[in-house]
Amino acid sequence: MPKPLLSLLLALCGAWLVSAFSAHLDPYYLDVLIGVGINIVLAVSLNLIAGHTGQFSLGHAGFMAIGAYAATAVSLFLGPLLIGDFPTPGGLAESTLFFAALVAGGAAAAVAGLFVGIPSLRLRGDYLALVTLGFGEIIRVLLQNFELLGGALGLNGIPPYTTPFWVIAAAALTVFVVGCLVNSTYGLGFRAVRDDEIAAAAAGLNPSRYKVVAFTVGTFFAGIAGALFGHFKLTITPAGFDFTRSIEIVVIVILGGLGNTLGVILAAVLLTLLPEFLRPVAEYRLVLYAALLIAIMLLRPQGLFNFSVRRPAAPRV
Amino acid sequence: MSAPLLQLTQATVRFGGLTAVDALDLTLQEGELVGLIGPNGAGKTTAFNLITGLYSPASGSVAFSGRPLAGLAPHRIVAAGIARTFQNIRLFGSLSVLDHVRAAGNLHRTASPLHALLRLRTFRESEAAVTARADELLALFNLSCFRNTPARSLPYGEQRRLEIVRALATRPRLLLLDEPAAGLNPQEKIELVALIQRVHREFNLTILLVEHSMRVVMGVCQRIAVLDHGKKIAEGSPEAIRQNPAVIEAYLGPDHATGLFHH
Repeated sequence: MPKPLLSLLLALCGAWLVSAFSAHLDPYYLDVLIGVGINIVLAVSLNLIAGHTGQFSLGHAGFMAIGAYAATAVSLFLGPLLIGDFPTPGGLAESTLFFAALVAGGAAAAVAGLFVGIPSLRLRGDYLALVTLGFGEIIRVLLQNFELLGGALGLNGIPPYTTPFWVIAAAALTVFVVGCLVNSTYGLGFRAVRDDEIAAAAAGLNPSRYKVVAFTVGTFFAGIAGALFGHFKLTITPAGFDFTRSIEIVVIVILGGLGNTLGVILAAVLLTLLPEFLRPVAEYRLVLYAALLIAIMLLRPQGLFNFSVRRPAAPRV
Repeated sequence: MSAPLLQLTQATVRFGGLTAVDALDLTLQEGELVGLIGPNGAGKTTAFNLITGLYSPASGSVAFSGRPLAGLAPHRIVAAGIARTFQNIRLFGSLSVLDHVRAAGNLHRTASPLHALLRLRTFRESEAAVTARADELLALFNLSCFRNTPARSLPYGEQRRLEIVRALATRPRLLLLDEPAAGLNPQEKIELVALIQRVHREFNLTILLVEHSMRVVMGVCQRIAVLDHGKKIAEGSPEAIRQNPAVIEAYLGPDHATGLFHH
């Protein structure tokens, strides 16, 4: 069996093992584990867009919000109609419903990603960053004023479907898909487009296509992360997906090293655990992130966890 | 006789009030090796950008083996069979030498991106074929020793060569070389002449060459077209161009009728 598929299978077995023994584990650690997993999905998917393809996006939380709301709509509104009000917890019907909700969340975010991606193709660098930033804010404001989805109060009483199994499986799938795409002849195009679009076209690659694919795949997984997040926190509000959430994901990706999947995973773990240890100074978290970002840019622009000798190109602005 | 491989008919490119390429007629038959020369700012690179779809003509047309190229995106023109190199080298800085050639091999990959996810035999065979072909090209052009070197750490001469190899990996019928000798030392220029002749012969290519180095142009081209201020002022054999008063005037001004090209 090919190695990537084997790794995916092993990860899924690991996910199943963790969920089988989850009753014996401290719920606090399980919660941290879920937080880490969701951040891995977010960061690895943003890394495809910003790291590998060089399209700096500041709107990842917006796509996450779309995924969270779409998935919640499925499980909260459609769920009772489809599987009744009191399904067996963890039963087949419930799992199927949650799976459908995850797919719906991912698909909704991917469609939004496609819509943002296509007009953004002509923009690069800071212009694209501004458009995606604006998009994230538009999503948040729209949700805030959309009473059907709870308005500013958000949605409550979301069924607690997110288990360690789903989170580990989603993280493994994200790493698998992004890794397989990037590590192929086809995937060389992502980095080629990042390094030089005109040269990529001269090598017969379609830069627009690559950017749209990166955007669509990346936002699909952002949507899945949002869906997992909603069914974990059990309540979602538009304010939970604001600009600072996007910045958090960007910090993870830059900390791990643009285009370095393993580094980004490690950074996701680190930056999820860090606030747990810094609870007493939680209100200074954003100050800390900003300081971290500046320090990394000055001292280790290739990312904290990039151990290969060559330095990747500075992002072209 | 079949349609010429490349035909520019009254092709014109304008930037605002400036006419960079002015009603250019240029025809290349299959298998020719043609030089395009002219003083700085004559419109040579603009002509290349026109052929490769980076600019579209204000009037006139470009046809490739009888088929008009108007409106085709640059990557489609590459797929149709026109590859190029750039005057100021454009490589993918972070990609290795091998990956440059593999990336250009995408046009001839048999597995789809979905295969990349499934990683089944189709995918592995396609990847192996692309890599094998890339290695073959690298070996042909003495780049195998740099196989895993990122392009940005390559010596200058090798960067120029890699650009040509990347263009060849798209399996073109027409190769456009934009000042391949720029920045090379005399020894490297001699090697480049041999390289161009070899590529022309062994890959069965038609080549259009923009070059400032007269030694290179006169050495390899069968026919030369001269541009000045966007207009074609002369066309003919290297010998005829060497003697052409209009060409000498364009390069040196009206008072210098001395032999420019006699080294």
